[in-house]
Amino acid sequence: MSKHTISITVNRQRHQMEVPARRLLADLLREDLHLTGTKRGCETGTCGACSVLLNGELVKSCLSLAVQADGCAISTVEGLANGDHLHPLQECFMQCGGLQCGYCTPGFLMAAAALLAQNPNPTEAEIRKALNGNLCRCTGYTQIVESVMRAAQRMNAN
Amino acid sequence: MVDFDFLEPQTVAHASQLLAQYGEDARLIAGGTALILALRQRMLQPRQLISLTKIEKLRGITVDNAGTLRIGALTRHSEVGASETVRAHHPVLAGLARVLANPQVRNQGTFGGNLCYADPATDPPGCLLALEASITLESQHGERTLPIADFLVDYFTTAIEQDEILVAINVPASKANSNALYTRHLRTAAEHRPLVNFTSIVECEGPLCIDARIVTAASTITPVRCTQAESLLRGKTITPELVDAAAQLVETQISPISDSRGTDDYRRHIAGVVAQRNLRKAFGLENA
Repeated sequence: MSKHTISITVNRQRHQMEVPARRLLADLLREDLHLTGTKRGCETGTCGACSVLLNGELVKSCLSLAVQADGCAISTVEGLANGDHLHPLQECFMQCGGLQCGYCTPGFLMAAAALLAQNPNPTEAEIRKALNGNLCRCTGYTQIVESVMRAAQRMNAN
Repeated sequence: MVDFDFLEPQTVAHASQLLAQYGEDARLIAGGTALILALRQRMLQPRQLISLTKIEKLRGITVDNAGTLRIGALTRHSEVGASETVRAHHPVLAGLARVLANPQVRNQGTFGGNLCYADPATDPPGCLLALEASITLESQHGERTLPIADFLVDYFTTAIEQDEILVAINVPASKANSNALYTRHLRTAAEHRPLVNFTSIVECEGPLCIDARIVTAASTITPVRCTQAESLLRGKTITPELVDAAAQLVETQISPISDSRGTDDYRRHIAGVVAQRNLRKAFGLENA
């Protein structure tokens, strides 16, 4: 079956690679690029653990083919931190208890990052709406919402 | 997921040729949110995926001289929701696109793909029926335009021919004094697919209803134009009792589906409730 040479920028690094047509974007990130921060959870497009940014927009990488991302820029959770300095979202998720088991966290971080890029000062309702495509079975969401609120405040203060 | 070829034609004619050549072995892919799930669950096992994303003709949102809004098939839900043109001409459609599914699916899924998949449990088809939208289909042999009522045939089934591609959705201009309202019911706030939805487009002069187009969808295999309720409302002075009677007619007119998400009796009841809430608000009786 068909193979494709694709050019893809992941966390500001450019890659040219050959992928079979059926390769999921989630698998390209995890298996080919060893960026295992992006998780595969439900396998049915429901949980959002595989969420990444594609050209700045939040998508589910388990519902995307790698060939569809040819020529695109991808951001994963590995790209959030600046060297040893965690992103304010990552700091605030730790401080507010926005995670317990942590499996859903990369997806939530990317969803929150997409929101704050568009809307630096969201209301609680806007945060809940923006996180609507992500499931967490541990936290009950309250602390996740608080984490995003606090990160927004911190980023606006700087 | 079974292996397949991924083909990227640049014109509608070429895509149509490929569809004719590969027949039932081929499937079109636009955003892919529904299709990739179906592939992964092996509900579909095509040998060729024909991607539409390189066909520029399928993009863009425009308005012609008659005021008809044309939404290119590849327009993603997030683009419909954010479009100033859609917001100006049919705010009900933009509002619907901003709540459909979840942010990820809105950024990936397309309006054309949503209609072609013909899953009843979604937002756009019922609203488009109430807006009297039409669908432009094109193949290597030419183009045709169908009312959306004729396009949506059955459960996951449309009138699209084997070698046809949905090119655009056309929504005629609304009357200046008409008001459109879309209401939906989710079983839980976390659910992404409506159990029932309801669209009303009403035209009033004071307390008098001049015209009403109303559609219930998502709990029936295809959207249902509620003609009995429309007749009851048309030309009458609106009262709470009349609106309740219209909602009751919606409930009795439909034959809901019955599945794990809701029995037919439950869906019928909710369809009546959603109709009542929508119509009360549409006629200014309350802020339901």
